[in-house]
Amino acid sequence: MPRESRGGSPCHGAGTDRSADMPKINIDNEAIECRPGVPVLQAALEAGRDVPHYCYHPGLSIVASCRLCLMEMQLPHPKTGEMDWAPKLFPSCQTPVKDGMVVRFDSEKVRENQRECMEYFLLNHPLDCPVCDQAGECHLQDYSFKFGHSESRMVDQKLKNPKKDIGPRTLLYQDRCVMCSRCVRFADEVSGTHELCIVNRGSRAEIDVFPGLPLDNALQGNVVDICPVGSLLDKDFLFKQRVWFLKATESICPGCSTGCAIRVDHHREVVQRLKPRYNPGVNDWWMCDEGRFGFKYVHDPRRIGRPILRRGGEVERPNWDDIPEIVTYRFEQAVERHGVDKVAAVLSPMMACEEAWLLAKFIRSVAAEATLVNGFVPVDGDDQLFPAGCATDEAKFTIRREKCPNRRGVEMIVSALGGNACAFDEFVERAGKGDFAAVWIVGGYPKPWVPKAMEKAVGEFRFSVVQDMFPNALTEVASLVLPTCAWVEREGCFVNHAGRIQPFERAIEPREGAKRDGQYLFDIAGHSGLYTGERVREMMAAEIPAFAEIAEAPAVPVHQH
Amino acid sequence: MIRDEDILNVDEPELTASERLYFPILVGMRTTFRHIFKKKITVQYPEVQRTLRVENYRGVHRLNRDADGRVACVACFMCETACPAHCIHIVAGESPWEDREKYPAQFDIDELRCIYCGMCEEACPVDAIELTPEYDLVGRTREEMIFDKEKLLEVFDRTNGVKPRKNPKITGYVATGRRNGSEPPRPGAATS
Ligand code: SF4
Ligand code: SF4
Ligand code: SF4
Ligand code: FES
Repeated sequence: MPRESRGGSPCHGAGTDRSADMPKINIDNEAIECRPGVPVLQAALEAGRDVPHYCYHPGLSIVASCRLCLMEMQLPHPKTGEMDWAPKLFPSCQTPVKDGMVVRFDSEKVRENQRECMEYFLLNHPLDCPVCDQAGECHLQDYSFKFGHSESRMVDQKLKNPKKDIGPRTLLYQDRCVMCSRCVRFADEVSGTHELCIVNRGSRAEIDVFPGLPLDNALQGNVVDICPVGSLLDKDFLFKQRVWFLKATESICPGCSTGCAIRVDHHREVVQRLKPRYNPGVNDWWMCDEGRFGFKYVHDPRRIGRPILRRGGEVERPNWDDIPEIVTYRFEQAVERHGVDKVAAVLSPMMACEEAWLLAKFIRSVAAEATLVNGFVPVDGDDQLFPAGCATDEAKFTIRREKCPNRRGVEMIVSALGGNACAFDEFVERAGKGDFAAVWIVGGYPKPWVPKAMEKAVGEFRFSVVQDMFPNALTEVASLVLPTCAWVEREGCFVNHAGRIQPFERAIEPREGAKRDGQYLFDIAGHSGLYTGERVREMMAAEIPAFAEIAEAPAVPVHQH
Repeated sequence: MIRDEDILNVDEPELTASERLYFPILVGMRTTFRHIFKKKITVQYPEVQRTLRVENYRGVHRLNRDADGRVACVACFMCETACPAHCIHIVAGESPWEDREKYPAQFDIDELRCIYCGMCEEACPVDAIELTPEYDLVGRTREEMIFDKEKLLEVFDRTNGVKPRKNPKITGYVATGRRNGSEPPRPGAATS
């Protein structure tokens, strides 16, 4: 793209201490240290000020078109050369910080500009907040309240723009648009698919797609997030719930090995939507549609809800309290009968590190020579780089082919624990030959996954525990089936493709009858009390130092995006 | 665990001579006798019924209809948000009508849980929900007392004669015919 993003990427410095060459500027008589090269607006936001802005987004190029962020700045007087307030206002989003700069937002002139801009933004606005999904998280509402007028002086009839269906997942309510062009720039610069454009001029300007080319790319959901108003709305979430009822939980997307930081918005134990969180260097401000809408399986009624125990031909519903005893006893029996090396545990890359560690520890405690297997890794096509068609090192966003969140985490644990280990394919092959008598297989994939060879090998197991989410060939015959919770019901950490250890919290309760994987593995591994990711991480860190430190996404200033 | 030192024994006070002769009862009876000769304000419900101030009596809810007989509610959830008893449950949907965006596909009020505070009426931007002068609410089951959209609209049909709808004007947002001039007004506009 010819236009360069000057926003600089991260909101909060990269962590290195560079205070020596950090420019100091003066905003409203207050000295502020900022990162070099960022716009004054970004510096002000990071310093905790709420400066209204629409067109500026740190992840996009700067156009300075909304004129809401204007500030006063001191410049040398052309005659005397003395520093004085310049008569005109400057866009703070387009003015990079410079050491010694003096600016102010807290002045009548600046406030007057904000008030007048807000009045223009609302000229043709239908004021239909009661039926608008953005209400409650709308920058137009917030800024009108804080910086605008309380009433409209418009006496003429408003222009009415009908809503447009611009793509399979997104609606455009043109009459609510403030023409910030963020969405257009996103399609140009980040997704690189160029579907959106501005047509007409002045008060007739509107956002549109080209005939026959709907907004349909793998990242399109982000335009809904960056639209500061309720103009672009998600069809999936449309009218579902008012945003103030939603509870937010910080999480990590399990869709691929990128490990995007996300927010799970849920209401009454139902996940309503997923939104990206700012996570520099991983997903920045974005997430893909596959992850965003891929949570539907969480509420699939076909999910396994409670444990199933098979003894001979009988099927029982064991009590959760009895399960630790049952599995310990049966594994010990298997070791006695078939030998200490006939036991294996398949650790799925859908598991959190803590869960994988607890299970691995348990298996090794009953059979010291048990084989730990790096579980099945689902792969789909190739990595998708964005902007579409860019080179690897220029990619602003990557959807990875590995459709699981924690392959690296499981590998880390298996290699740290040492002893017998093998890859999944090798395990399937050896299982087919009758190498294992007692196994614990973990699935937890949202899609059917059991390979044909695996289906054939199940007959060889004398005792098998299968931990999975949906019924399949393994759960049909397993001696003990344990339900796996979806990631929103669990907590722990995933290690992404680059080795970043990222924690995720639990958002909702497991369905009735089920129990969190972490909790039952905790019980089975012989610990007592409540499982928390942190508690287990502490135990892990004693053996695997890498887990002593986790990477959390930084907090972002209000109205940042 | 209740410990012995936490237990406080209170003895009954001794009765006085007048109390032993039941004299204080006569003091109470004085009030009774005084009221026997006053004007009576009790009514023989249900044969006789009180007249209510219909404008602000807070009885059973109703969901108002707009001029075309459609449910006036725009499913904004303001009432659900305002309700201190959490007894309103709305499921919003895309409205089947051209001129309106959103409507309540489902609208339930648990009349047993409701405290009849009127906050919902206060919160509604289109005056779609109102409390009516109806108070003789009976049902055999709890489920029956969860009023759904149909039932609430029925209450409107029943009470509209007694307490007509105010038909508020909300915003001045009217179509200017930029694309299709004959389009009806937007939700909330004019008389919804
Ligand atoms: S649709 Fe939203 S993001 Fe796009 S120009 Fe309008 S207000 Fe900005
Ligand atoms: S009257 Fe009060 S308690 Fe009853 S539904 Fe309305 S807001 Fe809720
Ligand atoms: S406040 Fe009024 S319009 Fe909004 S949901 Fe309740 S009844 Fe419907
Ligand atoms: S002009 Fe600066 S944010 Fe729009």
